[in-house]
Amino acid sequence: MSLKNVLAVALGIMSAIGGFVDIGDLVFNTQAGAIFGFQLLWVVVIGVVGIIVYSEMCGRVSAVAKRPVFDLVRERTGFGWGLATLIASEVVNLMTCAAEIGGVAICFQLLSGLPYRLLIPLAVLGLAVSSWVLPFRWIERVFGYLGLGLLVFAVAAIKLHPNWGQVAHGFVPGSHSGDSLMVYLYFVVGLLGAAMTPYEVYFYSSGVVEDRWGRKELGLNKVTAMIGYALGGFLSFALMIAAGVLFLPRGISPQFLGTPALAAEHALGQVGLLLALVGILFAVGGAAIETSFAGAYNLAQFFGWRWGKKERPARASRFTLSWLVIFALALLVVMTGYDPVKLTEYSVIFSVVALPLTYLPILLVANDRAYMGANVNGKLANFLGGLYFVVILVIAVAAIPLMLLTHGGQG
Amino acid sequence: MVWGFPSRFGHMTLRRERLLVLGVILAVLGAGCGGGGKLGVKALSQQAKSLQSLSAEGALLAQDAVSGKTTRIYTREHSSDLYKAASEAEASLKAAKSEPALEPKLRRLTLLASRVRADLKRLGDASKEEARALGRELQTAAEESQKIGEGLK
Repeated sequence: MSLKNVLAVALGIMSAIGGFVDIGDLVFNTQAGAIFGFQLLWVVVIGVVGIIVYSEMCGRVSAVAKRPVFDLVRERTGFGWGLATLIASEVVNLMTCAAEIGGVAICFQLLSGLPYRLLIPLAVLGLAVSSWVLPFRWIERVFGYLGLGLLVFAVAAIKLHPNWGQVAHGFVPGSHSGDSLMVYLYFVVGLLGAAMTPYEVYFYSSGVVEDRWGRKELGLNKVTAMIGYALGGFLSFALMIAAGVLFLPRGISPQFLGTPALAAEHALGQVGLLLALVGILFAVGGAAIETSFAGAYNLAQFFGWRWGKKERPARASRFTLSWLVIFALALLVVMTGYDPVKLTEYSVIFSVVALPLTYLPILLVANDRAYMGANVNGKLANFLGGLYFVVILVIAVAAIPLMLLTHGGQG
Repeated sequence: MVWGFPSRFGHMTLRRERLLVLGVILAVLGAGCGGGGKLGVKALSQQAKSLQSLSAEGALLAQDAVSGKTTRIYTREHSSDLYKAASEAEASLKAAKSEPALEPKLRRLTLLASRVRADLKRLGDASKEEARALGRELQTAAEESQKIGEGLK
């Protein structure tokens, strides 16, 4: 591998680490740690392996077919299923984008002390201008690298001196203690949903096409998906461990986006607090851009419009208008004053319901020799893809009943 | 009954069915809301848990403020969020009624919520000395809420 390729892999991995954690991961990992300590760490492992399996698959599909996943979804599953997938993913994208924008405004508020309602439109304006001005690679890198501030949670988790034996025990599924079984299962579903959010695969596969990856880049695709997401999952562990050490013994159940930052502050002081807030700001800001773009990619690819961040806005006018409209709609949702943390919980649970619609077509296309030729799924990819699809089906059916039965994890 | 032309009898049945369904929905919603605004053991225990969480978080924030680990802005903004949540908890406890056996616990929780709300309001602009005292008070409130919650199990 040449030095240029090594550098590309390193940069891709770094942006994947910073870009993996979004508001859903922050909320669910911290809450799970505060309620169940380290007992749900194994779920993060399952979720991270799931997103690696499907991201690698959809990256490979896009690189080989030179077409993004949503384009193939419509072709492979027909108009009706394609439309159902489009509607479900657009609703979830909008909810997630609104929650992320709320998260950006909260971080700005905690850093500046300015009023939240004033910061919401400013946050949207800042994100829209960044999306317009910055080239595709730069958006990924700026938000991904500055999102690396979240690594402060890994340092905080170590400095808080967890019982490492108990942490290791958390990687093995078993009986639980703390809250009820229903609440435990609700967090299992939420953590899996937060790790396997649909917008991530749509954004990833469209990025593969935008970057003109081909068969030559299949190795790069595999390495980026595997190492990037695995290290991103490491941040989820850190959030859960820090919450398990600091919040669980005190009976703190985090309700605010500012609460996770308390863990970094308590362990590392002001520098820790500022790094955590900047990390959260850029992680959720990057995710807001990804969701608005994922929504626009899906619409453009479904209706066959010209699309791409690399296209001049006037040439891909409907695509450009779509992501601007998604930002505008998300702004309206956040301005209603609805709590971004609650919105996050709903968006993650609804995204779980939409997961089968997202992942089944990817599995089908990756298995289709007509599209994939020699790069069709191997035995391992098929086994894991099939296994995860069963998991996805089960949690998709259980998500809404568990949310209602536990009052959104309140017990 | 012919489709599109319901008989008078058929129409009445349909109306009765609809009323029945509406009744069931209202009953379910009523039960879900704690039976006409009365707090049961579970709802009261939830309130105690929530108050414990808010006071413990406030105590942790105060402790960090005393040891210079936090910034002024973060303390002010985060304590303001905690204060708003405590105000909502206090308002809902004040408006709530409970079974006679639970009344003393409801009253204790309401008083506690008022104290926590007032402490969190002061925390935002507190000096180090004040923050130390507020941290102790909030920690005590967290322990009291926990005791009330455990007494309900």
